[in-house]
Amino acid sequence: MTMRRIEALTHLVELTEHDPLVVTCAATSRELASVADRDNHLYLLDSMGLVGSVATGLAIAAKGSDVRKVIGIEGDGSLLMNPNVLPTGGYLAPEKLFIVLLDNKVYGSTAGLPTYADRVDLGAVAAASGWTTGTADDEASLREEFARLVAAPGPTLLHVRIEAGNAADIAKLLVDPVSITLRFTAWMTARLAKQ
Amino acid sequence: MNTQTYAQAAAAGIWSSGAEHVGYIPSVTVAPVIHALVETDGGRDGVSEHVTPLSREEEAIGVLGALPLAGSFGAVVMQDNGFGNNLTALTTFSLSYHLPLLIVANTRGSLGEYNSMIHSISQHVPTILTTLGIPTLELDRRSSTDDWHDVIAEAGNHAKMTYRPVVVLASFWNTDGKVA
Repeated sequence: MTMRRIEALTHLVELTEHDPLVVTCAATSRELASVADRDNHLYLLDSMGLVGSVATGLAIAAKGSDVRKVIGIEGDGSLLMNPNVLPTGGYLAPEKLFIVLLDNKVYGSTAGLPTYADRVDLGAVAAASGWTTGTADDEASLREEFARLVAAPGPTLLHVRIEAGNAADIAKLLVDPVSITLRFTAWMTARLAKQ
Repeated sequence: MNTQTYAQAAAAGIWSSGAEHVGYIPSVTVAPVIHALVETDGGRDGVSEHVTPLSREEEAIGVLGALPLAGSFGAVVMQDNGFGNNLTALTTFSLSYHLPLLIVANTRGSLGEYNSMIHSISQHVPTILTTLGIPTLELDRRSSTDDWHDVIAEAGNHAKMTYRPVVVLASFWNTDGKVA
């Protein structure tokens, strides 16, 4: 049985307590914060399509550290706003780049309008661009493939197929972005210094 | 006597700013700057360990703009018509999250320009950046190569001091640099 986004995020929170986590805007950020609001979470509140690029930059900065991966949690609609992430990641090939793509085939924060993902396999695009990829559609396959890809060298992408729809009654993230910067930067620099 | 070209001075200024990684979007005019950056970083053919190509300007803001979150600092080399592509990333990410970033962009659309439509975006870039509150410094042939180096290096320092992106717009017209 396929998962709802908040179920997938609940599992990912368990798996990423010590990893830098860059999260796409709107419903995904809100739902993640409702599950757990941790210092290692970088919420991109309105930077559409930028998760993969930001995760790429952080993966470059984390080169040579003992951070196992910089993890970007991305949606299909957001990735399709900046699909350059995939060929760029394949070309630059940062060792520590890992994108978890939560694909519900719709713009979940924009009235559920359809994305291209119904006809375009974004995992296959990543694979064609040189990423190591995996797929998941339930808790067991999510945990199994996450464990494999978080340990695999080079850019990795886990294509998770989830149900359309947002969780109900989730509070908006009404915070000043700079507070996110301060919190995440303190966590990230301390994490990188811990060798 | 300083024998640096303007492109070499720009590249040296970027390194002097403390940039640890440079991402670029190619153009004919900035190619000599890229070559100088790559050469001084020990690379070849447009790529080195710390100098890498990117496919689009908003992507560059995401990749290089993220470095301060990990205690590092980056620079972007691009052409000024690319500000039309990267404004949302520049404002909602770099500006809003208070992240320092050095951007060095060559200018198009003014004296010496052959492209009859590029002025439609390039002419307005300084006004657009000023409207957004992004510090913008302009360099042209009236300054020496030493001044180009120093202004670019200090622009990077200013970005770090103010926790914001800073842009240097460099006109290569009538310098020894190549103009498209």
